[in-house]
This record gives sequence, C-alpha cells and structure tokens, in this order.
Amino acid sequence: MTLRLVVLVVLTLLAAVRPSGRLAAQDSQFGIRGLGTPGKWESVRARTTGGAFAPFDAFSPLTDAVLADVRRMSASFTSGTSWRSIDASGTQSSLRGTRFPAMVIAGPVTSRVVVGGGFTTYLDRTFGVVIHDTIDLRGVQQPITDEITSDGAVSDLRIAVAARLHRRLALGLGLHRLTGSTRVIATRSFADTLNYRPSTARDEVAYGGMGGSASLLYDVTSDVRVAGWFRSDSKLRADIGGHTAAENDLPLTYGAGLQWRAGAQASLAGTVTWRNWAGVRSIANAHDTFNWSVGTEIGPPGSPFRVGLRGGQLPFGIGKTPTEVGYSAGLGRQFSGGRGRLDIGIERLQRSGTGLTERVWTFLLGLTVRP
Amino acid sequence: MKWRLACLFLLVVAACAEDATAPGDCPNFCPSDSIGINDTIFTTIIERDSSYRGYLPSYFAEAMTAADVPGVIDSRAFFTTDTMFTRVTPIVGDTTTVPISVDSARVRFVIVRRPKNTTNLRLRLYQIPVTADSTSDFSSLDPAFIAAPVDSLNVNDLLALPAIGDTQTVRLWGDSIRVDADGHVLQINRLDSTLAVYFNLDTLQAPLSVADTGRIGWGVRVAADSFASVTLGTIQSGANAPLMRWFFHYTIPDTVSATPDSVVYADRAVATRFDNFVFNPPTPPLDTNLAVGGVPSARTLLRVAMPAFLHDSIDVVRATLILVPVSAVQGVPSDSFGILGRPVITDLGGKSPLGTNVSLYGRTFIHIGSADTVNIELTNLVRAWSLDTTLVTAFVLGQVPEATSYTEVRFYSSRAPAFRPGLRVTYVKRFRFGNP
Repeated sequence: MTLRLVVLVVLTLLAAVRPSGRLAAQDSQFGIRGLGTPGKWESVRARTTGGAFAPFDAFSPLTDAVLADVRRMSASFTSGTSWRSIDASGTQSSLRGTRFPAMVIAGPVTSRVVVGGGFTTYLDRTFGVVIHDTIDLRGVQQPITDEITSDGAVSDLRIAVAARLHRRLALGLGLHRLTGSTRVIATRSFADTLNYRPSTARDEVAYGGMGGSASLLYDVTSDVRVAGWFRSDSKLRADIGGHTAAENDLPLTYGAGLQWRAGAQASLAGTVTWRNWAGVRSIANAHDTFNWSVGTEIGPPGSPFRVGLRGGQLPFGIGKTPTEVGYSAGLGRQFSGGRGRLDIGIERLQRSGTGLTERVWTFLLGLTVRP
Repeated sequence: MKWRLACLFLLVVAACAEDATAPGDCPNFCPSDSIGINDTIFTTIIERDSSYRGYLPSYFAEAMTAADVPGVIDSRAFFTTDTMFTRVTPIVGDTTTVPISVDSARVRFVIVRRPKNTTNLRLRLYQIPVTADSTSDFSSLDPAFIAAPVDSLNVNDLLALPAIGDTQTVRLWGDSIRVDADGHVLQINRLDSTLAVYFNLDTLQAPLSVADTGRIGWGVRVAADSFASVTLGTIQSGANAPLMRWFFHYTIPDTVSATPDSVVYADRAVATRFDNFVFNPPTPPLDTNLAVGGVPSARTLLRVAMPAFLHDSIDVVRATLILVPVSAVQGVPSDSFGILGRPVITDLGGKSPLGTNVSLYGRTFIHIGSADTVNIELTNLVRAWSLDTTLVTAFVLGQVPEATSYTEVRFYSSRAPAFRPGLRVTYVKRFRFGNP
C-alpha cells in the first residue's frame, strides 16, 4: 500500500461528502433547543480511547501544548460516519450522517517551538425536524406538515504555538476564530394542495466569534505526564443578511489529564473536563457539564489497539442535565516507513435526557501523514 | 491490504448518504420558533374598481346561445351563407356551362352545450333575411322568427334512437348516426360529446334564390319542456360552425360528352358568411356595480392596494377574492359560466393589456340561480405581487367564453361599503432563524 493511494482515498471521501457543508461532529437532538451539539476535539486515535488521549495527542485539537511533541511537519484528518437511532417520547427514528470533525496540521519552527493550526467543530447545527399537526384554517381542520432543517456548524479555526520551556514542561497558546454557517429552511405544506401553496423560508445564518486557549504539559517522570488546559471564548454572534440576529455567551472550558506509559507497548490515560454552559443566559435549559474519559493504547507503536470509555453530560436539554456514555475501540497502522498512519475505530454512544434517548454507532477513519 | 482499503472505501462511501431529519418532539426538541400562520380578510384592499363594456361583440364569440325561458330570456341564433353558383362547367377546360337544378339542402348546427336534464328539446329552423348582419337586433329579426318554422327536430328523440353504424354509413358520415323518420340526423362527437344535428330540406323549404345569388339565412329557436337552451358553435369555433350544403344535379349535353345526356349529381357546402345571436331583454347598461359577461362582453377591473407587510416578511399560502353578487343570475342552469381573473401588465383602465401567464389566473364558476358569495382563488397572483413589488396590483375579471350568451353577473363594488369586494389572505409569517 502506498501513501499516494491512502491520500487518494481520503480526497475522494472529501469530495463525496462535500465537506464545506459538513465540517461538523455528531449531531444530537439535544442541541436543537440550544446553541448546538458541542464537537469532540479529538483525533481518531484519541476518540477510540474515549477521548482520554486527546490532551496527549498532537493531532487532537483539544490542547495546544502537546503540539510541542511534533518533530516533523505533519497533518491529520478525522472523519466519522454515524448511524443514530432516536427514541423521543416513544417515537423512533433512524438518522445517519458523515462528518469531518477535525483536521490538524503542525510543524516545528525551531527546535523548541512548534506552530500548528486546523479546524474542528465547535458546535454542530445540523438537524431536521418534521412536525405533523392539524390547524383550524378558515373554519376547516387542515392537516399540515412543517419541516425545519438546519445544515451546518460553527467551526473552530485554530492557530496555535507550543514551546518547550523546559525538558519536562511545554506551554501552548492558541487563538481561535469561530466561524461557519448554517443553511436553514422552514417549510410548511398543506394536505389541501389544491387551495394552499407550500411556504418555504430559506436563509443562511453566519456565525462569528473569537477565543483563546492556553495549556501546559508536564512530564512528572519519564512515564507519567499531566496536562491542564483552559479556554475562553467571546460571545457567539449569529448574523443573517449582515444583521446580527443573536449573540450568545460561550462557556469557559478547563480540564486536566494524566497519562501513564506502562512499558513500551501500553499506555493509560484519563481526563476530566468542565464547561460552564449554564452561563449561556439566553438559553433556558443550559447546564454546566462535566465529562471524563479513560482509555488505553496497547501494542507496538506501529499497530496499536485502543479502547476507551467516556461519560459525562450534555449542555442542553429540558429538566435534568442530559448524560452521555460511550465506549470505543480501534486500531492504528503505520505505513510507508512511519510516514503515514491510518486509524480506524468504532464508537458507541448513548445519550439520555428527559424525554429523549439517542444511541449512536460511529465508524471513525483517520489519516495522519508526515510528508 | 489494497483489497481491505478498497472495501473500507466502499463502506464509507456507501455510508455517506445524509439523513438528518426526524419526527419532531415539540416543543422540547424542536426549534424555539414555530411556523406561524395568519388568516385575514382585507375588506378595504380592493379600490378604484370599474366595469367596462364592449370587449367582444356576440358575432365574434366562439358560440351562440338559443334559449327560451319565459319572463327571463328569449335568445335566437342565426347565420347567413355565402353565395351559391347556379351553373357549372361540366368538362374541365371547356367554357361551356350548364345550369344546375337543386334537389335538396342540408343545414347543420353543432350543439356544444345543452341541458342534460330536460325533455323534448327541440330546435326550430326559420328562414331569415339574407341581409341579417351585425346591425340586426332582436326586434328587426323578430318577424322572421315568429313566422312558421321551416323545420323542427327533437334532440331527445334523436338521442333515443339506435345508432346506425353500418360500413356504408360510417364511410359517408365518418361515424355512426341517428336518423328519425323525417330524415333529421344526429351525430355524437366521441371526443367532446358535442352533437351535430342536420336538417334535411327540400327545395320548397330551402329554395335557391338567384336574386340573392344563392345566399340564404337560417335562424334557430329552441323549445323544451323546461330549461330550453342550447349553445351552438360559430365560425370562431372552427369545425363547429353552422354549415349549409346544397345537393343538386345537372345534365351534360351530348355535344360535349361521350355519354349523351348523362345526369351528374353533386353537392356543395357553402361557407357561413355571418353568424350571431340576438336576445331579449338586452343586457342592461352598466351601473355602479361591477359587471362581468353579457353582450357585448363586460369586464371588471379591480385594483388592489397591497399593504406593505404583504410584500415582505410573509409568505402568502392562499388568497381568495370575495365578491357579493347583486342578485342571482337568471336563466337556464346549463348556461352557468366561468369567470377568469387575469392580471394586467400595466394599468390603463379599461384598455389595460392582460397578462398571459396562465399560472397567475384565478377562475371560478357562476351558477345560474345562485346568489351565494363568489370566491375566486388568486393565490398565485397575490404571491407574485408579494414577491415582486414592480408588478401592477390590479386584475381583470372576465367571462369565459365571452359574449356567447345572454348571461351576466353583477357584483357589489367598493361603492357599497357593506358588500364591497374583499381579499382573504392566509399567510405564513417569516420564521425567525438564528435563535436556538
């Protein structure tokens, strides 16, 4: 297998799904009444460990300090195809979608300084709801069907710099530009097509905002690393036709992680993350979230096996805070003498909240190249 | 490894189909805004409405009506034929002519509309002056129509007869026919169910007048046990025009023929020169109400003062014009007629050019004897006005087909505040995107 063939496959996939409109993470019905569904800032490698390896993986856009580990110009793409089943108050439905939630490119500037960038999904805003109802129109009960769809996401464009301040300490700083748009369509159609014409409203909502992040990576010993990170964002502005339709606060994000190398062919990691989504005052049912993950990577560096477990909360949902539990596993395989790596994985998520349960299978595919 | 990669590739491509729409569980898992709908009757939106007459005279109409409803209407149709030759040239290239001798004639009318629930529907044929033209009116032609009819046929009786469909008949007539004892023929058009009726006339009934250069005029009155009304095709309707055919013979002298004194039988259809119908009482003159129909045809121009909010931030899903008739249209139920609302391209009053985009037209049917409020759906037209502010927000109501009958409907105008025209608009308010 050649590097060229792998690159060709990835480019074909990119073309097949028109990435401009689908640079999003997994959607969730929980995000419809909120700002969206927060993305997972993880590469396939990190995601198949439940996200536990994200602060220690240079190709996961969670932290900036870990970029200091990049010794050569490298790039990584992540894609995921999800099959989602929804149980909303007894109504079952099945959805699916393909997303490109993350891309990272990084390279050293000096022996101590690495610069990186890329994109990831900050909030996914892709959803569609169909509502059947009967209304009284001109004294007649008229069956109607409303379909409201939103296709797009708030993307996080990042430029980051990481510096190794000491043999054991690395510092990372990132500047984030929140951008992206959603194509939104609201259609009402009537059962009486003879007398009533369907109504369709279309628009494009453009999002904008800024953010900054900082992170530290500290090697306690040669086998133990700890990481800490912090991120703050400005308000998220939603513009329609050049006019601001809404401005919403965004949460502070902070977290910590621990990684232990248990020998040459095994690593264990765990992370915890907090986000104060309840500070988004314009959303009635916003909740602060706490998320955790543990995972391990076993086997030779050229073809490791990974498994992980994650749990935590989702920021938007009526009543009590919705929860999320996930299991994941995957494989990695280096090729072309270590200049490329293909990661595949499978993830199972279950999200539960008042009146809604989602179950998601996601097939993950990642490619990392070091030209 | 390449095979595995190819399989992986196919798997992911196959999974790329997007399906993100699910049944909504509202309000908990639906967008905060919803699609709102309003239904409003704009009672003063129609203004500066006027009626104009003279668009189409009856002699340019695509049909003509014969009706007889005592106390309501007496309508009579007629036509005149072109000239008929009296001599023929028996041999091509020869200058010698011989006189013809008329044997009989056949007069055809095509009934394009008739009452289906009447009995003894009869057509009575009258000979009218060949001078009948567009200046002829009910009174000037009345003497001809009150004379004894030349012939009469019973449409219901003919329809009740068995069809004759032998090969010889079909060869001559093109289809099966029904023939009564007096030789009247009826043929049903299989495509549009129109009825072609033929009067067979002898030379006493249909004399060839040399003084009139063979031109002749025929008129029709209708009678029935009830609902006596038929609508007949005219020249403007093409193949349904009235038709006169002369049957004649002539003798070829032995000096010019190889067959001595042979007799030749022939026929000739003469073109219809003019057709029209007259009725009494005539269409009343225009007044302050809005008139649609009649003869010559009247149309009504209605101007709509669109509120600004109907131009933006809403989406019209239904728009209905509401008109209140001054009174029920009198006549025969089968003479019910259609009304068409057409946009004007530019507002020049009665001479406003009409738009040709049929998708913007609104139409309805006026039932004879009904004084109910008339609703005309103008959804596409109002939607077009809502989207394009450069369009002239006015439209014209006209009868379809125009000037084919005595029928005319009158609606209250904006001068009658209690019954003025209104526009009922159902619209969807713009969805508020951008909010969760």
